[in-house]
Amino acid sequence: MTAEKETAPLVDLGVPVPRGAFDEHRPPDAALVGDCVHCGFCLPTCPTYVLWGEEMDSPRGRIYLMKEGLEGEPMSDSMVSHWDACLGCMACVTSCPSGVQYDKLIESTRAQVERRHQRTAKDKVLRALIFSIFPHPRRLRLLRGPLRGMQRTGLDRLLRRTGLLDRVSPQLAAMERLAPRLGRAERLPEHLPASGPRRAVVGLLTGCVQGAFFPGVNAATARVLQAEGCDVVVPPRQGCCGALSVHNGREAEALTYARALIEAFESSGVERVVVNAAGCGSTMKEYADLLADDPAYAERARAFQEKVRDVTEVLVELGPVAPRHPLEVSVAYQDACHLAHAQGVRSQPRELLGAIPGLELREIAEPELCCGSAGIYNILNPEPARELGDRKAGNIVATGARLLVTANPGCLMQVTAAIERSGHPMGMAHTIEVLDASINGTSLSGPPHKGD
Amino acid sequence: MPTTSTVDGTARAAVVSACEDVHDAGEADHVDGVPVALVARPTSTAQVSEVMRAGSAHGLTVVAAGRRTKLTWGRPPTSADVLLDLSGLDQVVEHAAGDLIVVTQAGARLSHLQEALAKEGQLLAVDETVPGSSVGGTLAAATSGPGRVQAGTLRDLLIGLTVVRADGVVAKAGGRVVKNVAGYDVGKLVTGSFGTLAVVTEALFRLHPLPATRRWVTVPFDNPAEAYRLAQSVVHAQCVAQAVEVDWPAEGPGTLGVLLAGIEDGVAGRASAVLDLLGGDAREDGSAPDGWAAYPWDVSATGDDRSTALKLTFALSGLPDVLEATRHTQAPVALRGSAGAGVVYAALPSGTDVAEIAAAVDALRTVCMRHEGSLVVLDASAAVKDAIDTWGPIPAIDLMRRVKDQFDPDHRLAPGRFVGGI
Amino acid sequence: MSGTHGTPKTASGDTGQDRERDAALAAVTRTARELIPEAGVITDHMRLRTYECDGLAHYKVTPGLVVIPETPEQLAGVIGACAEHRLPYVARGSGTGLSGGALPRADGVLVVTSRMRAIREIRREDQRAVVEPGVINLDVTKAATPHGYYYAPDPSSQQICSIGGNLAENSGGAHCLKYGFTSNHVVGAELVAPDGSVVQLGGTAPDSPGYDLLGAVVGSEGTLGIATAVTVRLVRLPEEVRTLLVGFKTTDQAGAATSAIISAGIVPAAIEMMDALAIEAAEAAVHCNYPADAGAVLVIELDGAAVEVEGEYTKVERLCNEHNAFEIRVARDPVDRALIWKGRKSAFAAVGRISPDYIVQDGVIPRTALPEVLKAIADLSTESGVRVANVFHAGDGNLHPLVLFDDSVEGAGEAAEKVSGAILDLCIGHGGSITGEHGVGIDKAAYMPRMFTDEDLDTMQLIRCAFDPVGISNPGKIFPTPRLCGEVPGRHKGAHPLQEAGLAEVF
Repeated sequence: MTAEKETAPLVDLGVPVPRGAFDEHRPPDAALVGDCVHCGFCLPTCPTYVLWGEEMDSPRGRIYLMKEGLEGEPMSDSMVSHWDACLGCMACVTSCPSGVQYDKLIESTRAQVERRHQRTAKDKVLRALIFSIFPHPRRLRLLRGPLRGMQRTGLDRLLRRTGLLDRVSPQLAAMERLAPRLGRAERLPEHLPASGPRRAVVGLLTGCVQGAFFPGVNAATARVLQAEGCDVVVPPRQGCCGALSVHNGREAEALTYARALIEAFESSGVERVVVNAAGCGSTMKEYADLLADDPAYAERARAFQEKVRDVTEVLVELGPVAPRHPLEVSVAYQDACHLAHAQGVRSQPRELLGAIPGLELREIAEPELCCGSAGIYNILNPEPARELGDRKAGNIVATGARLLVTANPGCLMQVTAAIERSGHPMGMAHTIEVLDASINGTSLSGPPHKGD
Repeated sequence: MPTTSTVDGTARAAVVSACEDVHDAGEADHVDGVPVALVARPTSTAQVSEVMRAGSAHGLTVVAAGRRTKLTWGRPPTSADVLLDLSGLDQVVEHAAGDLIVVTQAGARLSHLQEALAKEGQLLAVDETVPGSSVGGTLAAATSGPGRVQAGTLRDLLIGLTVVRADGVVAKAGGRVVKNVAGYDVGKLVTGSFGTLAVVTEALFRLHPLPATRRWVTVPFDNPAEAYRLAQSVVHAQCVAQAVEVDWPAEGPGTLGVLLAGIEDGVAGRASAVLDLLGGDAREDGSAPDGWAAYPWDVSATGDDRSTALKLTFALSGLPDVLEATRHTQAPVALRGSAGAGVVYAALPSGTDVAEIAAAVDALRTVCMRHEGSLVVLDASAAVKDAIDTWGPIPAIDLMRRVKDQFDPDHRLAPGRFVGGI
Repeated sequence: MSGTHGTPKTASGDTGQDRERDAALAAVTRTARELIPEAGVITDHMRLRTYECDGLAHYKVTPGLVVIPETPEQLAGVIGACAEHRLPYVARGSGTGLSGGALPRADGVLVVTSRMRAIREIRREDQRAVVEPGVINLDVTKAATPHGYYYAPDPSSQQICSIGGNLAENSGGAHCLKYGFTSNHVVGAELVAPDGSVVQLGGTAPDSPGYDLLGAVVGSEGTLGIATAVTVRLVRLPEEVRTLLVGFKTTDQAGAATSAIISAGIVPAAIEMMDALAIEAAEAAVHCNYPADAGAVLVIELDGAAVEVEGEYTKVERLCNEHNAFEIRVARDPVDRALIWKGRKSAFAAVGRISPDYIVQDGVIPRTALPEVLKAIADLSTESGVRVANVFHAGDGNLHPLVLFDDSVEGAGEAAEKVSGAILDLCIGHGGSITGEHGVGIDKAAYMPRMFTDEDLDTMQLIRCAFDPVGISNPGKIFPTPRLCGEVPGRHKGAHPLQEAGLAEVF
């Protein structure tokens, strides 16, 4: 008697099997799932496989779970837990020789999970809390006061020492630990002219966490763009790009943010939309796909997407004109996952940093491995995030460099916390701040990074 | 006490009908003092199979022999009804030079094989440490010499073989190609098994090109620490030495010998680098030092004239301790072997008091084991073999016995010669 | 990507036997829970399914239980329980094997070694490393490199394949022509035998007295036990490595150049060939920028002492030119070198970009038969209309024909299987082998009788009977017909894996 086949093979069906994990609205694409040949090259670059060594928490395994879902297996807690555990770092996309578009697969899967899976009450509350704060620049700015207050009075250190917050909620404790030290706030004007002959008109995304907690980075970005001959337009009504929502399956919310952002920049007449946060840039480069089903926005999204550039991309595109002053400093450059893996931007930051006289660029071991920040992953999954953060910190400290440079506020916060835990304080800066210092002839601030 | 072997009439007739060339054994045919009844000298695998079938039907014990150069190695067999003389299977069957492989019968002399291969500029990369050895005998005893550092040993060069089992079944394993993972590697299992698992009648080897040139660099040493320092400097260098040998007679200084082989310019450059490494007393030469690739004992000696021949293995870092230990035994020890592989041979002279030999073996074995190695007494006089655990402790002996039981359930192939009484 | 999928229901219809097996599985699960932390004992159906195939997705069987032990003691404990209850088990490393060697048993346990991944020792002075079986091949080299050493066997999947898996398959790789295979580099192993006992085979020093059991275990595809610690030989990093990418118009020319190099007495560290179709795939995947319009490329690597490499290079360059090479590129630095190799090493998975489905073969032929066999493969391809891309180790005749097809087209799968089988027959016909490095596993068991006689197979299985008389260690792999081991009379218990996978019927 032959073994019975419970389910029809995937390849026979173009649509998901009813009663299975997924419904017909944008399920993970069966054809993309079929691209995976099960070779396993993605496993050693996957942070969760590196930590736990089990198939279900590897890209290959997660794709297999998607396949199971498409074939009719129900969306179980165990399935969801493994998708939730995915950092979305896209290291697997880089390492896959068959070109599997895992990014698209996990995004559609997360959206399905968000719609179709019952989360625990506790989980729902936490997520609601996060999404009521992070994508809202004004609310984040409101937090600055209390946060500064806590830091000034030392209440934050007290909280950490007593472990009180950990006992209430490890996730909240993680948030607290990640919060950067705050200084004075700055707001950018709407128009900033190029210094010298104008070469381009560019828009600047001020972002949420970046804008609220690291406005100095935005200020530095604007200055560098100006110095390289760009008129900088900062649309005042811009909001969140929707990256966190996209990466966590909150589809409707993401679309709302995307439409609003497109509108905010459309009328500004810029040639490029410049982004200095890796996570944001990667999502904005997906807007065409995101809004493909919306006839009112599909074309506009495509037009918008074509203008999006990471700041290092646009600077290399334009070619440097502003003279660089020397910065005698050894730098460890950390590839933010959403810049390197998701956008393929690796050489540009290195080129720009390498062109600064006196600057010694050092490579970090295990560069493809995520630091554990991964958007809000470090808040939702503090334990693995902490392990990954410590691992990254160890690799960074081992370079012996004096300054860590990276391109994402999330990474910066995560790695700062980890390096402080390691007891080897280092200076930390955004790529653009280093360029800014070199162009202006100022020196870089010393250890630990000061949010402004 | 070995008794005279008797083989009854029907058994004898069975063997005679299996194989053309069968005669009664004389004293010269005895195996390490154990009497043999019949000598059968087949000329084909089919005949070997017939002999083994006959043996199986009549419960005869069989000891296979190539050119009989190592017949006394290991322990004496508990019984040897038939000496299976394989010197009649002496053909080099096929040399496929373009594929770098050779097919040879087991009874062929190693030297004869090398001659044939050299005609096409190739060689089997194994040293002939016992002159006159057969291919099969070399395989059964897994002998090796200085060249193992770079080329590996026969186990690494064997790619296929034909065996005849104790029950007479003929089987092949491996094949004609170097890369082959189909099925189990029976060849490795049989290599070094002293003829106790099956009789090898044909073997296939991968070959190497004959090097264009060879040079030796030698340097003397007079203490173990210096020998180790010199050896390690070469071992960790990037000169790709073919051999790194230590040679330390019982009296006097020792010599470190490094062999470099390859293309002219290459060897010249590498030799010069090694000279620099080894310092002022090092010398270069186009021919091998005395005794190169020979064991430090007289391999042709017989009976009580035999030295106690030892094989010592150890982690490379154990060299100084091993050398030191050989200077402290009561009986003098001559030592020669590979500092690059962690395999050296030592000899205690014939006529040495058995108690002294036992003490030396004990002490040396302890040092080897401390360095994750072993000591085996390859050959010795009967009195010494009686008194000493020649094979030493064998961790996986139970599993080995189970393998033996599968291949030779009646224990008729060279019984008692090998480890654990196998 | 298609494949038949077997479900974990009984194939024999004998409910008495089913109950026994369920009870055995439950008992072993209980033991596993006592020994191994919870996360390492997997019973959830969805999770079990993620383990149902290895690198060969063509065969799938959902395991009855998956355990991921963290220590040798835990692993031995589970095997002991399996022995006690006569429950079959299958070992798995990274699950990248290409012959289905880690295909699970629905009625058995899948023992995964991916958490036993510590590098215990790197001993430069002894040229040895001791590693756990889940350690990734390339990680051994990474750990040894700061000491000036590396681990030589380099399968193309080395960034993920495990040492334990390498040991089971006797894996090769591009550099095995000069440096040998896993069996030449594994010198010792702590083995958990199928009865649950732990035995030391080989060791740090060479030539352990007694039978070379280690030599039999390496390449035994998990049928003789599971290694829980492996001692390997480390090789000194060469003074110089020179990597060449050579373009030819035809595979014949490339093959002739290869023969000339070998005949000249040079043993390159590696000499790999790819044909036009394979180059196309690699280019699409990793943009390795191989010479345009090449009908074939050779990736040649020479290594050793700098003076020696220089001399060899001069000869190789001349010989390539004499055999119509139209371009010779020498890697200028490690980045160049890595990119040249990237094309070759990604070739298998890269074929996924030019074809929805494919079968990768692993036949070996005598090197001198290369032009003839390549032509025969080309003829097969033309006659059948099935495309075949060729990637292979030119130096030792180990071919990896990639038979391309689209499973959604009716009959395409069968046609591809036919071509694939015909290629294996070609290899056997030329005195070669059905597998050079991927192993027999489940995939090629049916071909063993074409390469070996009954007596040959019977003799090999004597070894299996010695190690595993009960027949629980990865049963159903390698040998199409299991040998009764004397001590255990009666029918072979349990369903045959091919049956489980829905690919065979038992009459």
